[in-house]
Amino acid sequence: MKIIRKNLLAGAFLLTSLAAADAHAQLESANPRVGSIVSAAPSVLTLNFSEGVEPAFSTVQVTDAAGRRADAGKPRVNGRVVLVPLRPLAPGQYTVRWRVLSVDTHTTEGSFGFEVRP
Amino acid sequence: MCPIAFWGAVRQGIPRPFLPATAAALVLTVFNLVGTSPAMAHCFAGSRFFPAMLTTDDPCVADELSLPTISGFKAGDIPANRELDISAEFSKRITEDFGVSIGRTYTRLWVPGGPNASGWQNLETTFKYQFLTWPQSEFVLSAGVSVEWGRTGNASVGAEKFHTITPMLWVGKGMGDLPSSFGALRAFAVTGQVGYAIPSWRRTFTITSINFDTGEVDFDEERHPHFLQYGGSIQFSMPYLKANVIDLGLPDVFNRMVPLVEASFRTPVANTIQMANTWDENNRTIGTVNPGIIYVADKFQIGAEAIIPINRASGKGIGWVAQLHFFLDDIFPATVGRPIIPISARLGP
Repeated sequence: MKIIRKNLLAGAFLLTSLAAADAHAQLESANPRVGSIVSAAPSVLTLNFSEGVEPAFSTVQVTDAAGRRADAGKPRVNGRVVLVPLRPLAPGQYTVRWRVLSVDTHTTEGSFGFEVRP
Repeated sequence: MCPIAFWGAVRQGIPRPFLPATAAALVLTVFNLVGTSPAMAHCFAGSRFFPAMLTTDDPCVADELSLPTISGFKAGDIPANRELDISAEFSKRITEDFGVSIGRTYTRLWVPGGPNASGWQNLETTFKYQFLTWPQSEFVLSAGVSVEWGRTGNASVGAEKFHTITPMLWVGKGMGDLPSSFGALRAFAVTGQVGYAIPSWRRTFTITSINFDTGEVDFDEERHPHFLQYGGSIQFSMPYLKANVIDLGLPDVFNRMVPLVEASFRTPVANTIQMANTWDENNRTIGTVNPGIIYVADKFQIGAEAIIPINRASGKGIGWVAQLHFFLDDIFPATVGRPIIPISARLGP
């Protein structure tokens, strides 16, 4: 029982420490939604992350099925939200590749697709 | 890396977690106070996250703590002993790619018709080098060696007096690089590990009787075989599905789950004695298949699995294992969650 008590104490210490630091920035949601089909071409891609990200070390690329860039300019970062201006999107498949540095210096990356189908 | 659940029949040679909890808390507190430098990630390969698993080890080097891992099962003995294990494992990166784990287990045994027993299993350490990472392919490969230190546990619960050295390989592969037409299959990943366990003693002789009139001595010989240890997992990552394949709009609790099936086996390959019609674990492949689920939060994860023995020598009935696991690189990113020497010698792009 003494061992269990000590383990619980250490666990409690860790649990109380959880709120003290930031974690990896994970993609929580996107607009257009990951894997979705949208009828109206969006003018901005919105990425919502689980942690704040560093603008200087975060990149987002949007490409069409032919590999041509569909993003128009640098992403704007506001805390956990990254806004990517888009060129006028023709109907078709698009791929989003993101790589961000969270405020505690963890790097994460990912990619997903969406389709514009009027 | 990951904490491991242990079951009696496949005990030898598999890393087993523990660090005394108060010491861990003290170490973490000290590191929490003094450090200031940045940290890197836990087990990521590109956009793939491999969670720490309960029965086998993930393929990465990381800063993490499993505290506790608790398992209950009936071992392969006849009659079957009932066993409860409480274990912990502390893993620390020395460099970005090289780390060490220290683990130990406290065991409580209920022996049918016999005296119950409790005590420590042997201390185990694992040294691991994550030498290859291909982010685009979500592929990780590591090599290392696990050492079970003899005479550091209690013989009453089966701790051996000899050391066991196990060179090992770990691999992980996510399916995210499949064409998008594969859809949700891209959320699957597999991991694997293989090791060759070498005991430091080939055999043990135990004197069973002495005839003082004739001077004859009777003894039992117990051989300590070399074992091939292998296992792995197949896992379906709901976090990966949501962030990289399709967002189904499910509640967040579902989007953090990783259903998986782990399997772990051990086969004697050298220094064995063939004995027919016995349940002797030294002479046959034993193992378990463990279906379960892991819930991945931002800074910790909780997992639970059933333990299903593949034969009677592996155990009796269905056991269970549960684990609380902390990502120290997220909890203490500037201190204990970062490598001691922040250099990398990893292959891959």
